[in-house]
Amino acid sequence: MKHLPRTCALTAAAVTMLSLAACSTTDPNASGEGGGGEGDVTTGSGVTDSEITVGMLTDLSGPFAAGAAVQVTQTNAYWDQVNADGGVCDRDVVVDVQDHGYDPQRAVTLYRSMAPDVIALQQVLGGPTSAAVLPLAEQDDVYVGGVGWTGSALQYENNQLPGASYAVEAANAVDYLVDELGVPEGGRIGVVYFAGDYGGDALAGAEHAAEERGVEIVAQEITSQTTDLSAQASALVQADVAGVVLAAAPTQLASLAGVLATQGADIPIVGMNPTFNPSLLGSPVADALLANAYSITSVAPYASDAPGVQAANELYASVAPDGDVGWEVPLAYVQGELLRQALEGACESGELTPEGVVAALQESSSVDTDGLLPDGLDYSQPGQSPTTTVYVSKVDADAEAGLALLEEFSGPSAESFSYGG
Amino acid sequence: MSYFLTQVLNGLSYGLVLSLIAAGFAIVFTSTGVLNFAHGSIVLLGAYLVAVLHPTIGFWPAMLVALFGAALVGVLINALLVRNLADPTPGAAAILMLGVDIVLLTELTRRIGNQVLPVGAPWGASVVRFGEIALPTGRVVAAGVTVVAFAALWYLFSRTDLGVGMRAAAADGPTASLMGIRLSRTAATGWALAGVLAAVAGVFLTSFPSPGVAPTVALSAFAAIPAWVLGGFDSVPGAVVGGLLIGLTSALVTGYEGDLEHFLGTGFGEVAPYVVMIVVLLVRPSGLLGSKEAVRV
Repeated sequence: MKHLPRTCALTAAAVTMLSLAACSTTDPNASGEGGGGEGDVTTGSGVTDSEITVGMLTDLSGPFAAGAAVQVTQTNAYWDQVNADGGVCDRDVVVDVQDHGYDPQRAVTLYRSMAPDVIALQQVLGGPTSAAVLPLAEQDDVYVGGVGWTGSALQYENNQLPGASYAVEAANAVDYLVDELGVPEGGRIGVVYFAGDYGGDALAGAEHAAEERGVEIVAQEITSQTTDLSAQASALVQADVAGVVLAAAPTQLASLAGVLATQGADIPIVGMNPTFNPSLLGSPVADALLANAYSITSVAPYASDAPGVQAANELYASVAPDGDVGWEVPLAYVQGELLRQALEGACESGELTPEGVVAALQESSSVDTDGLLPDGLDYSQPGQSPTTTVYVSKVDADAEAGLALLEEFSGPSAESFSYGG
Repeated sequence: MSYFLTQVLNGLSYGLVLSLIAAGFAIVFTSTGVLNFAHGSIVLLGAYLVAVLHPTIGFWPAMLVALFGAALVGVLINALLVRNLADPTPGAAAILMLGVDIVLLTELTRRIGNQVLPVGAPWGASVVRFGEIALPTGRVVAAGVTVVAFAALWYLFSRTDLGVGMRAAAADGPTASLMGIRLSRTAATGWALAGVLAAVAGVFLTSFPSPGVAPTVALSAFAAIPAWVLGGFDSVPGAVVGGLLIGLTSALVTGYEGDLEHFLGTGFGEVAPYVVMIVVLLVRPSGLLGSKEAVRV
């Protein structure tokens, strides 16, 4: 203990220094005008006579690097395909990919340096990183797509959520448990959720649905560090829950399913978007997952036979034949598709500028994506989820990427849920 | 009553795994004065080695390679980096270890990718039943291995020349050196022991009830930091007590959250270990079993 006080002081100083990063103060509207007007189209940042540049702030060196790499590959392949088909507004689309490493400060710095040279951001991956960038992008009137599904992102009118928000997913999960999986009225449903935006949003949706459907919620808050859910599972069994909604990650799904099985609790577990990973089927708890695990997603699962998903899968297989497959493949494709539609809307209105793209987004009241997302997405209602429909899948060893699509589902509680309502 | 016992056993079995990690922190600090912030990555490295090797060479040989590999990485970090610091202060070493952690974790994350890699433990997802209480077999094995490991550590530190030398070096390095104890040797032994404990803990942390190796395991290892700190930075027995206390606290607070949330709110199970740590440090600033700082006035 001889050096302890000095050690702690130095360590604290070091951590503080590491967590500080410089922020650029460049005004994205101050420079970077594109090639000027061409014909009837006014152009702005990120647009020249021959090219449109879109940005992508992703995590190629942090905790989500593997899934992010799949999305970058698919995004580049998507725009190459669009360009081969004639591009957008007679221009090729190029993607400027930058790595924020899941660091919000770095994301802000990268956004500041990137904003003058892009027309829109196709993606800012990650909750904390997108939370840091979204307000700045809103001030600058820059479109931001694909920032996850947290309800807090809906308050920004420049944001395009790819499908239903987590609260809507969780409300649907409760509806599905009651309507299809045998949870009786007056019964109990466990909600195991990550602390923070993601889990908090899911809990809000589940609580709304519980009130609507006359069931009781038994909530268990965890963090991403909680990889052994023995205590939580025991508590849920003790509370005699008839089903579980899980807003966490694959590790937590496997642990919860495994422990519940060993305690003789044969109850369904419905996970949100990111809770399933096909590699779990090689773990010792595969049988428990196959018996009781379901997944509710905003984006159609890899195994869907919808034309959009098939197109996405074929495109990915052509550029990465040995790449990891999963929900990132259709997700990245549909994010490109949503942005392409917004860019074309801006082009048609004669305003191929960041502001024009945001305006095109806000005028979109019925977006279709060939089955990658539910049809009729409505982005004209700021602050609300663009749809109440989700995809319900069951873990299935025979299905591609381990999830077999059961149905598109929109429950009564999801339909009655509204943010701020 | 069986529910209470279930949660107690959940807590104690998880606490023993935390003890292994916390003991690794304590041994490195004792032998070299370094706050080893790369310990979580070494835990992950040990588990990763078992996960990638077991399909070809089997679980137990993979385990042996992982023990050796994690120990070797620890020794190399000490020999190549820590000992060559231009400014060999604890603060500089701690910053160095943060850097090592980032490098190791980034590389392991890249290698693991989007997967959850099973470690192939022979006990799989089986459970041992004590009456109405079911405990994962892996946790029962972990308890046995941990008890043996700590008995071996006790023997090493109290009955062998090497262990006594390590304690002497920790108490007063310069004097120990003058007495003929090779500080480089005691330091290397400390780092190797910490690596072995990390690899063992890594395997138990990633076998059932956890599904396998994912990059977040490195973060899970940091759950042992409250156990290390409240046990006393430089005390291996303190790490054991600290681990058990933290495991028990987490399990009981989580298990009885429904009864506690009226005045503590939800999610208190995640916070409880840190509350216990702060309370202990307020009463005993050196931790439960840590050495008191000697101040000459």
